[in-house]
Amino acid sequence: MRVYQVPVHTRLWLATALIACSLPQLLLGPVWQSVLLAVVVVIRWLVDHQRMRLPGRIVRGVLMVTAVGMTWYSFGRIYGPEAGVALLVSLFALKYLEMVQQRDAYVVIVLGYFVCATALLFERGPGMFLFVLLCMLLLTACLVGINHSDTRASAFSHLKTGGVMLLQAIPVTLVLFLLVPRVAPLWNMQLDSGKARTGMSDSISPGDISDLSESSELAFRVAFQGELPPPSERYWRGLTLSHYDGRTWQQAMPRGMAVDSYLYNERGTPPDWYNRLQEQGAQQASYSYQLIMEPTQRRWLFALAVPMLEQGDASLARDMRLVARAPLSQRTAYTITSFPGLSTAIPLSVQEQDLMLSLPDDSFGRRARGLAQQWRLDSHSDRQIVSLALRHFREQPFHYTLKPPPLTADPIDEFLFRTRRGFCEHYASSFTFLMRAAGVPARVVVGYQGGEQNTLGSHLLVRQYDAHAWAEVWLQGQGWVRVDPTAAVAPDRIELGLRGSLQGDAEEQGALAGLDSFAGGGLFGRLQLWADYVDFRWQTWVLGYDNQFQLQVLRRLLGDVTPLRVAVSLIVAITLLLGLYMLVLLRQSGKLQQTVLEREFWRVHQRLELHTGQSLPAGLSPEGLARAVEIQTPKAGPVARQWAGYYQQLLYNPGFGAGKAQIRHLRRLRNRLYKLLD
Amino acid sequence: MRLPAPLRDLYERWLSRRLPRSGRVVLNQKRIFIFPTGYGFFYLLVASLLFIGGINYENNLILALSFLLASLFLVAILHTYRNLSGLGIRNGDSESGFSGASGALEVILFPERRNHLCLWLYWQGQPAQQVSVTGGEESSLWLNMPLTERGRVMAPRLKVESRFPLGLLRTWSYVSLDHYCLAWPQPQEWAECPADGGDEHSQQVPTGRAGNDEFQGLREYSPGDSLRRIDWKGYAAGKGLNTKLFEEPAGGRLWLRWDRLEGMGDEQRLSILCHWILALDQQQLPYGLVLPGITLTPDTGDVHRWRTLDALACYPEFD
Repeated sequence: MRVYQVPVHTRLWLATALIACSLPQLLLGPVWQSVLLAVVVVIRWLVDHQRMRLPGRIVRGVLMVTAVGMTWYSFGRIYGPEAGVALLVSLFALKYLEMVQQRDAYVVIVLGYFVCATALLFERGPGMFLFVLLCMLLLTACLVGINHSDTRASAFSHLKTGGVMLLQAIPVTLVLFLLVPRVAPLWNMQLDSGKARTGMSDSISPGDISDLSESSELAFRVAFQGELPPPSERYWRGLTLSHYDGRTWQQAMPRGMAVDSYLYNERGTPPDWYNRLQEQGAQQASYSYQLIMEPTQRRWLFALAVPMLEQGDASLARDMRLVARAPLSQRTAYTITSFPGLSTAIPLSVQEQDLMLSLPDDSFGRRARGLAQQWRLDSHSDRQIVSLALRHFREQPFHYTLKPPPLTADPIDEFLFRTRRGFCEHYASSFTFLMRAAGVPARVVVGYQGGEQNTLGSHLLVRQYDAHAWAEVWLQGQGWVRVDPTAAVAPDRIELGLRGSLQGDAEEQGALAGLDSFAGGGLFGRLQLWADYVDFRWQTWVLGYDNQFQLQVLRRLLGDVTPLRVAVSLIVAITLLLGLYMLVLLRQSGKLQQTVLEREFWRVHQRLELHTGQSLPAGLSPEGLARAVEIQTPKAGPVARQWAGYYQQLLYNPGFGAGKAQIRHLRRLRNRLYKLLD
Repeated sequence: MRLPAPLRDLYERWLSRRLPRSGRVVLNQKRIFIFPTGYGFFYLLVASLLFIGGINYENNLILALSFLLASLFLVAILHTYRNLSGLGIRNGDSESGFSGASGALEVILFPERRNHLCLWLYWQGQPAQQVSVTGGEESSLWLNMPLTERGRVMAPRLKVESRFPLGLLRTWSYVSLDHYCLAWPQPQEWAECPADGGDEHSQQVPTGRAGNDEFQGLREYSPGDSLRRIDWKGYAAGKGLNTKLFEEPAGGRLWLRWDRLEGMGDEQRLSILCHWILALDQQQLPYGLVLPGITLTPDTGDVHRWRTLDALACYPEFD
């Protein structure tokens, strides 16, 4: 079998493309893949340099079986996204090894496209896309190379041709991206990237949130349409926790309540609480925003009270929060309108009231119960009890800290009466306990509070360290009312955020040192601001360019969106672009590159035309030119003849050697001629 | 793929109307055809698979990648077309041959405006030859052509093809050059020499070296002299290239005559004449040729042989 020789000038590009395309998978996947790739590249190199024969079918078969076996060993299966990609990358490398025909080289390149696509399955940042573009450049250079059978072709010219074509393709791609209609998925595929991330869990015990506050990872972004709420109103509700066992707060459903009437996802008959929300929503002031959630692997979203979903796939729960249909495994955008004043609309049923007043058994919080009962006796309304409790937190020596002392046996009493040092979850938890003990329905709410504004995009960034816990109490006539006991202790936490509230507190500095914020200032801060802005825009404009966003954009561009209009604009835009390229391509090379000598000749020719004011025949010989000079300006005759003679020597005398020095001499003669002509 | 005969005829007629014969052709949009290659279709299939993948995974970046592939294909149309557009093709030399064997035609490619890389040129059914036209310089290419019958064999329709730069599309043009190759008749052995003149009027040519042995002297070689008469010994001794001169042959000049082969078909006559031209040339006897319409005076040498053979090939129309 004759081994197809990849043109020598293309070998480098093929090997580079192979390595570059596989790189994302090599970094993520098991080590044996890198080994396999290295082995393949080395063997191919040896084969290409005639140091060894192409491994036979048996060796290649063994390699293939090994790759499949190792995939099985690493992933426990050979299908599914991760195993599939690993297999694809191995196949890519093995196909590269067995290029025996030009067709195989084509197949290698096509496999490269697929490998690039799989890289985009798992990582969708702008950086990854740029990297894929680089891979595309290499693959295009390979295509040019294998189609360029001239042995003398330079390897670099392939890259140039490929680059030019790719640059021309990008505007066309943009047009297609903008205008080609997004179709709904043909069949559903869920991709679990399986990355464990820091984030909020569905229960909360002392210490959970202060752990989160050590991470400056992004939790979500919010882009407001119109006004931003003031910092003290930025309470992003995630979960309500209503069951307490003395240590841990957990989510709970009221006894006897069906899931259907608790969660409503706009299908089927709406429960009556939802109808009431709808009725009253129209008259209320509201905030409209787009929420871009980072992947959490959880279902709940974070929103201001009371969120009504405009766009996205999620349900509204009776406790005024949004729940996605499936765990968020990738960044997802939701358009939401929140009506802060709407919480009055939701009634409190008897079962719900029972749940919101439930307490752990008597061994927990004895002194706290006594205190609460005292408040009950001292006041004539629930509202008054709440203010008494807040006054208690304000006036007693409570301290807000990231490093609270551990609470062992009875967290409520120990915190309220002994340590008095705690983080938001301690305050929210004990406050809610006190309220329930005093007979006021209450629950803990966890989520995030605050958010930093990116001044470039004017969107809010909410990071893990913005995690917060607070309480909600049910007051007759007002519905659920937010009460934040932490605000009573450390008002700065709410107004300035975690960093602002702890700044200047020497004890806490250590914990804050690792936290990012644009407020960090300096060049690094600016860079971070920009990086976040790019990432945010990438998310909203590129990744979030879905069906509905596209409809909005098209409406703005085309007015009315009909299939005909979209099709016509698509065709017109592409035709215009290609027509423009055609003009440039066919004209740009309208002149063949002149040689140095030709340029010298035409300079003198033009100069003489300028001098005499009449046109000279284009076919004039150097001698003829010299004669023309002599007739026009007799004194310049000898120099002109000298120039012509030298010129002809350079052009026709092979022994003369037309090097740089000779060209310089010719130029000198020309300059002397110019002087005489002036 | 073969079209049914009537369709083929229609196509051929359309093609020859569209692309008339000419000695010099510059390829332009009227003459250039373009169509995706098999790989081009495969590539489009891959792009649409990625599109479906992007839709299903709701991944805009994979969609963008599929759009990029499609755009690259569109751009490749322009670049592939450009590689052929503006290429000039004209007649070059030709090399005659005996019918039944093959001759060759020279085709000269010249760039009008830009470089043309990796072009394939071939007649239908012949192996292709690859050439690139770069740096504003002409390149020439000899293409063999089979000579099936004696006479002027017109150049078949030449196919110029290119897949550069991406191999996704094939662009081609048919060029009908007004160019021909002369096919000499096939020599046919014939005992009787159809000649008159010579010493015994017309006899079978004596074997051995007849007559022209009388060495006369040397003169400087001029192109067209028979290589057999060059003074190779002298050349090897550094005396330069000289041609040996001989006395006029004692036997006088032989005239090969068409008329002397009465009663035979034209082709047979030509074949016999051909055989005798070759035989006399072998023996370095001067011979002339008389055909209806042309008379070539007796001479010897390669150029003379070619002239006489070409005359046989051209019969009955000489120019």
